[in-house]
Amino acid sequence: MVVTFQLNGEDCSFHGDPMTPLVDILRRERFLTGTKAVCREGFCGACTVHVDDEAVPSCLKPIGLVQGCAVTTIEGLSSGNQALHPLQASFEAIDAVQCGMCFPGMVMSLSAFMRDNPHASRPEIKAAMVGNICRCTGYERIVDAVADCLDQARKAGRLAGGIDV
Amino acid sequence: MAPGVERSFTAASTIEEALAARRQGAAVLAGGTWMMRDPRRGGELPEAVVALHRIPALSKVEIEPDHVVIGAAVTHAVLGRALHAAVGFEGLVGAAENAANPGIRRVATVGGNLCVLDFAAADLAPALLVCEATVELETFEGAKLLGISDFLKDRHTLLAEAIVTRIHLGRDLVASAHIRLPLRKAGDYPVAIVSIGVDKDKRCRIAVGSVEPVARRWTALEQAMRASPASALDPERAAELALEHNDFQGRDGKEAEGWYRRQVLPSLVKRGIAALLKTGGLAWL
Amino acid sequence: MSELSATVMNLARRDAQDKLRGRTKYTNDRIRPDMLHAVLLRSTVPAGRIRKLDVSAALRCPGVRAVATGADAPGLYGIGIADHPLLAIETIRYHGEPIAVIAAETEKQARAALAAIMLEVEPLAPVFTMAEALQPAARLVHEGWRGYEVITEGGARAGNIAWEARSSRGDVDAAFARPDIRIVESSFTVGRQSHVPFEPRVAIGSWEDGRAHIQTSTQVPWTVRNVTGRVMQLAPGHVRVTVPPVGGGFGLKFDASIEPITALLARMTGRTVVLENTRQEEMATCLCRENAEIRIRSAVTAEGYIAGREAVVLMDCGAYGGEQVFLTTMTAHTLGGNYKVGAMRLVSRAVYTNTPPNGAFRACNGVYNTFALERHTDEICDALGFDPMEFRKKNVLGDGDLGATGQVFEADVLGPMLDRMEALRASTGTSEAKADGRLYGIATTVGTWFVFVGPSAATVNLNADGSATLVTSGVEIGSGTMVQSLPQIVAGQLGLAPDQVIVREADTDAAGLDVGVGGGRTTVSIGAASVAACAEVREKLLRTAGEMLQTRPQDLVLRDGRVEITGRPGSGMSIPAVVAHAQATTGPITGSGAFAARNAPAMAGCAMGHFIDALDIPVFVVHEAEVAVDPDTGHVEVLAYRVVQDVGRALNPRAILGQIQGGVVQGLGYALHEEVTLTADGHIAQDDFETYRLPLAQDVVPVAADLYEGAPSMGPLGTKGAGEVPILAVGAAIGCAVARAIGKPVRQLPLTPPRVLRLLHEREPPPEFPHIAPGWASNTLG
Repeated sequence: MVVTFQLNGEDCSFHGDPMTPLVDILRRERFLTGTKAVCREGFCGACTVHVDDEAVPSCLKPIGLVQGCAVTTIEGLSSGNQALHPLQASFEAIDAVQCGMCFPGMVMSLSAFMRDNPHASRPEIKAAMVGNICRCTGYERIVDAVADCLDQARKAGRLAGGIDV
Repeated sequence: MAPGVERSFTAASTIEEALAARRQGAAVLAGGTWMMRDPRRGGELPEAVVALHRIPALSKVEIEPDHVVIGAAVTHAVLGRALHAAVGFEGLVGAAENAANPGIRRVATVGGNLCVLDFAAADLAPALLVCEATVELETFEGAKLLGISDFLKDRHTLLAEAIVTRIHLGRDLVASAHIRLPLRKAGDYPVAIVSIGVDKDKRCRIAVGSVEPVARRWTALEQAMRASPASALDPERAAELALEHNDFQGRDGKEAEGWYRRQVLPSLVKRGIAALLKTGGLAWL
Repeated sequence: MSELSATVMNLARRDAQDKLRGRTKYTNDRIRPDMLHAVLLRSTVPAGRIRKLDVSAALRCPGVRAVATGADAPGLYGIGIADHPLLAIETIRYHGEPIAVIAAETEKQARAALAAIMLEVEPLAPVFTMAEALQPAARLVHEGWRGYEVITEGGARAGNIAWEARSSRGDVDAAFARPDIRIVESSFTVGRQSHVPFEPRVAIGSWEDGRAHIQTSTQVPWTVRNVTGRVMQLAPGHVRVTVPPVGGGFGLKFDASIEPITALLARMTGRTVVLENTRQEEMATCLCRENAEIRIRSAVTAEGYIAGREAVVLMDCGAYGGEQVFLTTMTAHTLGGNYKVGAMRLVSRAVYTNTPPNGAFRACNGVYNTFALERHTDEICDALGFDPMEFRKKNVLGDGDLGATGQVFEADVLGPMLDRMEALRASTGTSEAKADGRLYGIATTVGTWFVFVGPSAATVNLNADGSATLVTSGVEIGSGTMVQSLPQIVAGQLGLAPDQVIVREADTDAAGLDVGVGGGRTTVSIGAASVAACAEVREKLLRTAGEMLQTRPQDLVLRDGRVEITGRPGSGMSIPAVVAHAQATTGPITGSGAFAARNAPAMAGCAMGHFIDALDIPVFVVHEAEVAVDPDTGHVEVLAYRVVQDVGRALNPRAILGQIQGGVVQGLGYALHEEVTLTADGHIAQDDFETYRLPLAQDVVPVAADLYEGAPSMGPLGTKGAGEVPILAVGAAIGCAVARAIGKPVRQLPLTPPRVLRLLHEREPPPEFPHIAPGWASNTLG
């Protein structure tokens, strides 16, 4: 079966088993290894990508369901020499990263969350992270970074349309 | 799957097309959040699947003054948003907004949640039991309507020759609440669920999920509460009645033994009644 | 000296941007289409004898390029004793044990070919528990235990007791016979903890110029090198190990496991071979923190003096000895730590069972021994009517006090740290109000751990562009040592900025021996070796500069990338100018340095079967937890958590605080959520993220931490390892706080809601150990 979709802004087609998980196509065929396949059951969030602007686990997404969709991966969020997404910059500034394997998924989940919830409170940020596991950091700095980032966005008056992703 | 055989994948545009594929033996693919886990457990993916997400009628929530219709392919996230402001559906919204985790809720569908066999901890099942939902099926012999309770009991056989297409809800509840008890704050499947609703006559409907293999109404407690209506909406009194009429056989699992699931029910009832009392719908009663 | 001010800073991580952009290539991101994929045939029974193993049909399957069995790698490996084959040979000892491996063009083909392997196994009655294993008539998990090569002498062994370590100081019998004491006895049991690194164990092996090259996600490149040579029986130096960034380790990757298999298959096929555990395999065969059983008795006077103490600790090593053989040592320093004790004897036994082998996990056996010791201390206080805080203040180890093996501790550390905890609590306030009607408990506990020193090597090359290259066998597992403390240390020594220090990732062909990243040792051991290497570089640099400036080297300093005359900022010349001159005259400027353990002395005759008789660098912690327990459901909510940690010297305080937050949260998982049980056929039941409950963001709180500086340390600039120890006393603090909240003794972890509710309803039987004899000496091999 042939599936066509947009990948990081470019047309892309896949020939093969329509039940192949999206994450395998990203990693094994497109070498976009920023998307991590950790639990492969939708619990850890490390494989989160945006499909039509929604943050979803790519491990449970058969490519057949992606026909005609637009997929953005961590590589597409701030590509080439582009500046980091404000959330990535916040994570860097606050020394949040340790082993780093959960962070691409954290960035993809929480960047979409910030866009949709510019006034989120700390408990709301934590509730949004139920599907993103981090084994290294103990989470609080990640929450700090999201809160800082939302704060800065509010101060900069980028409120109206939420935060760009 | 045999080597060289190409898997058949149908993205149906109409219910008829989906049913035709089903007749040919295709398995129904909703959000994929269960089916895609099967290979991790040594299971095989089906050789033919039919996806429902392109059928417009199955992907919408229709809210009318006297009833609500939910398409089977509606995701938990969409359902939660759609019913957010609808008085009486607080429990169903709570179920949709707290099941699994945010990423899964954006993908997993209402139909999928109800059709996964052997998933005792489905959040929507007790919430829909309280709504006294009607399940609409498209069978090989035509459309069929079935009470949610009967559907849950018989789904094993029913689903061999049918597709769940819609869920119909009346609007006779004035308030409802959904109390789930995962072992962490969230993120694991609840070990026990109590869904409670109350109608304008202050009659309570109570359903329990995850304690037994299939969710069911707590009829004994409902009757006991009806027998002493004065105390029906008193959390402490309701918990006492729950203790007295606890007729559940808790199932043993890796995460909790049956004793625990059964033991926590009265306190979940207490929380449920307390939550009901905080809803707007009860204010005018 | 300015060396310190030039070193201490909150340096950001140089690897953060790539990690955040998804560009970092961990080992499992380096799989390429031209590689062969290996999959393992694993045992589906916990114990058995292999009657037939025929792989010929599998070799004929589509895409299959090689099949290997135990016969292809007959060497045994292990820590202390060599008891572990790479692939099962004749005997199967645990569910999940690798028996054969297939390399094929695709993973799918390799997996399909598994079914073609003809395997006949005669099942044996499994020995699942330590109680069963210690029965006099128990079946031996290793029938041939006597024949194993002993790598480290000194431990007593017999049958299912893989290793026994004992410590004994003073006359314990006399202490317990005193008329003025009361005896308090407690028993504890704890389950396993799975590390769950996000990157599973994975290796990519190739065969290059007649040697093995393994790229792998490991904490111990030299162990992988040595074990591979051993099991494949290769000539010395025929293995090279390189290590890309590691996606989490936590001790799981502190031993070799599947890596040598890729070298074996690479030699058989001439191709590059990748082997990656699936998540289920990773969790079902995780080298977990071991389950353990502890019985401890103390003789305490009415004044609160601990006259005598004795304990038996049983540690389940699973099917093979592994780290537990070494870790029996640590009981003397953990259960025997924290407090002044008149006379003390401890025995710690690693016991074989037909269960997946256990291994090292952050602060290893210290975590449960600290739980046991602190809960026992609270039971002493309950029994004798002491205030727990006052009792601790009175009895914690101080300057000149003796440890279990007769080690003399230097300086008062724990006492002042308890004072600092009180100050910290005064500044944060307490959170009892948040309990909101639930049962509230607060507990302050102490812990003793160490820095696992041991050998390290470093080379520093000073380049003519003004940069320096640091070459070590260090690995970046996420803790930040390779990107923060080490470049900070080298920069401070050489008057450079940290971003001028290039840090080479581990390559056993390029850097000298190192015992690995773990045990809080990298900043200390590699740091000290780096300081020594920098000393040689400095010496050469200053000598050359002295000639150029006509100044005595001792009158020169290195500052801001320049060689300056002391006291005259801006004088002298730039480092590149000196290096260029040296390159043209005496040659490039390089330095090498080495570090080894000091081997602090114990009292003669006190330690038997120990790998470490005394702690070169003890590390102390004080942890305080506040909890609320829901009496209806047994849920424990952590309301607040405070830490005072002995860090020696904080080189990067912000990074240390990040380690403390992360380590405490892993400890909360151990104390409250993470549970491992075995199925009836010996398989780890929680082999996925659905059933193994890791703490999530909503389950944690921000940890308030105070870094205690100034305790003595042989580490560079007085530093101690800070990344391992934050997990040490979490089980203790939570266990004690929950016990106080519910008013019942807590004797088991994890405190899952069902367990706490059972405790509240008195449905949880206390641990009983019929296999631990009442007399201490009967529990030893004498």
